[in-house]
Amino acid sequence: MTDAAPLCRATALVKEFTSHGPMLSRPTTFRAVDDVSFEVFRGETLALVGESGSGKSTTARLVARLMEPTSGTVEFEGQDVTSLKGRALHSFRSDVQVIFQDPYSSLNPRHTVEGLVTAPLRYQKRRIPGGARAFTRSLMERVGLNPDHSGRYPAQFSGGQAQRIGIARALAVSPKLVICDEAVSALDVSVQAQVINLLRSLQRDEGFGYLFIAHDLAVVRQIATRVAVMSRGRIVEQGERDRIFADPHHEYTRTLLAAVPRIDPEWDARRREAERRRAAMASEAS
Amino acid sequence: MTGENVNDTTGDLLRVEDLSVEFRTAAGATRVVDSVGFAVPRGGALGIVGESGSGKSMTSLAIMGLLPKGGTATGSIVFDGKDLLAQRESAMRRIRGDRIAMIFQDPLSSLNPYYTVGVQIAEAYRSHRSGVSARAAKKVAIEAMERVHIHDAARRADHYPHQFSGGMRQRIMIAMALSMEPDLIIADEPTTALDVTVQAQILALLAEIRRDTGAGLILITHDLAVVSEVADRIVVMRGGRLVEQGSVEDVFSDPQHEYTRRLLDAVPRIDDEIGELRTTAIPVLPGMEKR
Repeated sequence: MTDAAPLCRATALVKEFTSHGPMLSRPTTFRAVDDVSFEVFRGETLALVGESGSGKSTTARLVARLMEPTSGTVEFEGQDVTSLKGRALHSFRSDVQVIFQDPYSSLNPRHTVEGLVTAPLRYQKRRIPGGARAFTRSLMERVGLNPDHSGRYPAQFSGGQAQRIGIARALAVSPKLVICDEAVSALDVSVQAQVINLLRSLQRDEGFGYLFIAHDLAVVRQIATRVAVMSRGRIVEQGERDRIFADPHHEYTRTLLAAVPRIDPEWDARRREAERRRAAMASEAS
Repeated sequence: MTGENVNDTTGDLLRVEDLSVEFRTAAGATRVVDSVGFAVPRGGALGIVGESGSGKSMTSLAIMGLLPKGGTATGSIVFDGKDLLAQRESAMRRIRGDRIAMIFQDPLSSLNPYYTVGVQIAEAYRSHRSGVSARAAKKVAIEAMERVHIHDAARRADHYPHQFSGGMRQRIMIAMALSMEPDLIIADEPTTALDVTVQAQILALLAEIRRDTGAGLILITHDLAVVSEVADRIVVMRGGRLVEQGSVEDVFSDPQHEYTRRLLDAVPRIDDEIGELRTTAIPVLPGMEKR
């Protein structure tokens, strides 16, 4: 499943926010991320789960270098990237891409799909292989969008399609690590399933690592290789996906799993049985 | 199931028949709810599920007489023997909040930031119960807060909305609804913005209230698992139309409509097989792929 050297390693990450109250009062410090360490390997998905305020999104931002940690380090392919600047930071930016929750607010409404997905390359002053039009068309095909729509604007797409544009934009620079920050949370269930399948098949083809930030444990169970559970800025437990779901060690993980609403498994079993009967009847009839 | 004759059910608390909602725009009329019908018996819990654009929220707003400007409802909505669509606005105002209470997704936007929660519950109560003193209403408010398990309710009643967490604010909205002793509670995505552990608490609270007060419940949500746990009947909507209805057990264990089947296939499970989520061939209704 994984080779020996991790793609990305976070070590003892800490992020503190200081808020200044009324004049002369002492500023208060809030520790959003507290001594967080983990590794992400090529071709695997590490899910960071937790409730609101657990620090999972802040952790994602630290890894993507969208925010500076108070202390701790982020290594990418063995190199410390915590204090990269200039050209080295540029090159790191094309290795790590982020897909955000709200596709509409993360896509400039005044740009066409072509403008959006080629922006990362233009920003990095890189040549667009095969020209912008052909490049855009091939990316759109890879994420399941109609390439004839490359001249359209984000508002002309549904939520699921807009999220595919966000994914296409991330793919444009051939990243090695893709950070999905609640990337499927805002989508309708049928669309969500399609985007999860797309993310999985892209990973199979490209072999990149995912850092998958989510609050929905049922979604995480479908996509994760390993899971880290965060609460109040700390990772309380991490391990292989099946172990976490079948045998959670930490009390908080147990509470979280118990709270997930469930469809009665017996109803599901009967539904599948009915489906099998229907399929058998249909094949007999034909 | 589909096409079930709602006329046969007598003594229903709420009976919706042939309900359509249209919006008049410059480009002509758009029908967002198309001829739906269902019933809620006294003390029953109905879940209305659908994806975005299914018309589930417009259906609930039509019941409350709270359609956005330009929207008109036709058909009939009979609540406790009265057709709500035939009521004047003044009569609707008396029914709304008093006999039918509504709980929305975002409690913060339903609460006034400038008043303490105790005052807001008390004032809502007094607006429907003329002649009740402020002191008596405050007492009702504190009792309602106690019933939704807010600790130290007498002190917390003097706090402002921002001093409560999201889950606590939703409890306050439920307390406000409860103080009127409504016959029907309509909850539109009441737990969608909440963390999963808080959601579990709020769903348990709604179940407890139903048991204790005998109020009917309509739960509008996109989450099939939530409906399966809370409701006894389910209505599946899509593109403004009613796709399928029945008892939750019947619909979840033997869905009759292709759309319901595909929807159930697409729900990721916490305790089921892992594999490619089946997403094939969800038939797209005209106009559904737009936002």
